[in-house]
Amino acid sequence: MTSVSTPTPPAAVARPARPAPPLGAWSLLAIAVVITIVAGSSIDFTILPLFTDTGRGWFIVSQFFAPDWSFLVQTIQPMSVTLATAVVATVIGTGIALVVSFLASTVSNPNALVYRAAKLVLSVGRSLPDVVWGLLFVAFVGIGALAGVLALVMFNIGIIAKLTAETIDAVDPGPLEAADASGANVVQRSRVAVLPQILPNYVSYSMYVFELNVRASVVLGFVGAGGIGTQIAVQLARFNYDNLSAIIVLLFVVVFLIDQSSSYLRRRLAR
Amino acid sequence: MIRFSKVSVRYPNGTVGLDEIDLEIPDGQFVVVVGLSGAGKSTLVRSINGLVATTGGELEVSGQRVDASKKGALRRLRAKVGMVFQSFNLVTRTSVLNNVLVGRLHATPTWRAILGWYRKADVEIAFQSLERVGIVEKAYTRASQLSGGQQQRVAIARVLAQQPDVILADEPVASLDPPTANLVMRDLRRINRELGITTVVNLHFLDLARTYAQRIIGMRAGKIVFDGPPEDADDAVFAEIYGRSLTAEDLLPDVEAPATTAPGLTE
Amino acid sequence: MTSTAPVPVTTVTRPTPPRKWRVITIELLALAIVLLCLSAIEIKWERLAQFPENFVTYTGLMLRGALNNPLEAPYTEYWLTSLEFMGQSLAMAWVGTVIGALLSFPIGFLAASNTAPRWIVLPTRQVLNAIRTVPDVIFAIVIMVPIFGLGPLPGALALGVGSIGTLGKLTSEVIEGIQTGPVDSVRSSGATPLQVLRWAVIPQIMPEVIAFWLYRFEVNIRAGAILGVVGAGGIGSLLSRVFDQRDWDRIGIALIVIILVTMIVDAISGAVRHRIIAGAPTKAAGAVV
Repeated sequence: MTSVSTPTPPAAVARPARPAPPLGAWSLLAIAVVITIVAGSSIDFTILPLFTDTGRGWFIVSQFFAPDWSFLVQTIQPMSVTLATAVVATVIGTGIALVVSFLASTVSNPNALVYRAAKLVLSVGRSLPDVVWGLLFVAFVGIGALAGVLALVMFNIGIIAKLTAETIDAVDPGPLEAADASGANVVQRSRVAVLPQILPNYVSYSMYVFELNVRASVVLGFVGAGGIGTQIAVQLARFNYDNLSAIIVLLFVVVFLIDQSSSYLRRRLAR
Repeated sequence: MIRFSKVSVRYPNGTVGLDEIDLEIPDGQFVVVVGLSGAGKSTLVRSINGLVATTGGELEVSGQRVDASKKGALRRLRAKVGMVFQSFNLVTRTSVLNNVLVGRLHATPTWRAILGWYRKADVEIAFQSLERVGIVEKAYTRASQLSGGQQQRVAIARVLAQQPDVILADEPVASLDPPTANLVMRDLRRINRELGITTVVNLHFLDLARTYAQRIIGMRAGKIVFDGPPEDADDAVFAEIYGRSLTAEDLLPDVEAPATTAPGLTE
Repeated sequence: MTSTAPVPVTTVTRPTPPRKWRVITIELLALAIVLLCLSAIEIKWERLAQFPENFVTYTGLMLRGALNNPLEAPYTEYWLTSLEFMGQSLAMAWVGTVIGALLSFPIGFLAASNTAPRWIVLPTRQVLNAIRTVPDVIFAIVIMVPIFGLGPLPGALALGVGSIGTLGKLTSEVIEGIQTGPVDSVRSSGATPLQVLRWAVIPQIMPEVIAFWLYRFEVNIRAGAILGVVGAGGIGSLLSRVFDQRDWDRIGIALIVIILVTMIVDAISGAVRHRIIAGAPTKAAGAVV
């Protein structure tokens, strides 16, 4: 009799025991959920006001959809100050950052002590948000665009130097070996063999930081460092929500244009 | 004169690169080192300019001890010893001329190097080096746009710009096709004859070794097992160096070398 | 063979250096723009002259405040307040990131060309771009504070909405970068589109996506600082108070707290991210063969 049932395989190898469930992923998820609950309750999380608070809140929001376009004329000067601040800060910041980035990579800096110091300074610098730099410099040099420029410079150096130092770490070591073998010193080697290799990435980072600077100027304006942010703060304080919304639309358009041209330029440079 | 006295190289993981080598290379000689991968030929060549540090014995180049720990003296030594690499090691994003000027860095103050303001005399030397290898018309071309053979010629020009006493070449033709490999070896041999620069080349193509060498050194397991003129290095000798009989991979594919030489070369 | 005179035979004339005019005009133009911007800023140069002296004085005051024995009053209270507000910033940033992650995840699928049709992808991408263009603080001022009042809750929501833009874009890029092999094999076994997503797409993208979420958390901690200045909670509100009062002792302490907490959280988050992307180390890696 031939039955067409699937034959049982010869039991030469014992079936393995089912492995324990992966502890790592589930416990991480559990930790994340616990943290979320703790954090949420500590800030009194609720979305009730979306539905219950009709009155004041929605009134303000509705005012945003009726911008006062005539106000735009008064935004031109602060906006140009914001853009000018971003340009100057980018130029100065990227310049200083280039030098610091060479100190923050073992490829270009053989001195272990200076290297660690540079990395530490960069880490500390990057832990301070842009608004903190703004507050500091307003205290140091008074309110106005100067504080904004200096704050952005410090903010930029942290970002660009770290990214560039990582790029330096990853360069092709071949040309470096050739420079060594011809008797060049470390600085010459960095200038001749490292710099040409990192230049495209460095320019890309600089453009990225310029975009960040324009947005950060809004933040800095709030703490007195000039530009469009100060104007936003003033209009907010006076409850002129229609003016405020005109400014925001302008800001949106400007940042959008900058983002677009920046990605276009970066694509062209990448070839 | 390059002198090895009981020179050993032992790598941190225990591998022996060189095993008590005694060797003298007089000025102006054209030496080719052959052997299996790992036999020590690359280590031998790279220890001469300190890219590989010796762990025993004494190594002298032109009367100067090679000591990888003394950075200043090492740089001065490397100024007089030029090296050509298998992967050319050019800075691809910049011009041929800038690459050759790397050879002049040892005589250029750092501030000039940073600004890129090389002295006129140095630029002149760079141009003459390019002319000597016959590629001067590409001086302002970006290095990445050159073929492999052209890039290696630029690397040789870079070495010539150093005005060295010794030229080292670590598998200089392994990445090149046979006609180009022959051209490059011919360049090296010609430079050695015209300028009298001691040349030590590391090759794994045996027929090239036999064709161009003045003296062949065969290495096996960190020791020198053959040292003599190419006429004495027959297939049996090579079999002994390699520990096996020859295969097709040890010879260049059978292609005729081109009849014409590159412009600007004398022969 | 000719004599050994080292003068090369020059049958080829040397090339001329390339024309630099285009490069020079671009450089001059750039310089002009920068100078124009400098003049537009109206820098008060006298203030710049004061800077080094102010810098030294105030840094000294900050350090003095920070290095004082934290166990003595009133410094204990200063440290505790700073830590409390920083904790609030962390909570804000965490909740905001969770919101952003949960909302951006489905949106990411709508913005990826291999999981959504073109007529959905294009507008979704534009919406994400629009969200990315607006700074978080604008969301806070415009929408969240008016509706939810002051405090860390509107701050968290502002960070959440703001994160959707970047996280949505990054998620869609990861989705577009997956390998099609697993997708084809799951689909060919008769799975529904949702099942294909669940079994072929999601397992591939999760490590990178979670890594982005963690990175966004790090960013949100910093982004949250400004929200406090406009009243939306977190360390920013403490900062604006102590800077207004020019209380350098407390400023120093607050800054140290910010630096230390941020660096610690960055380190933990970075380690978790690397572990997720690189996978757990296998026991076999220790074998000596």
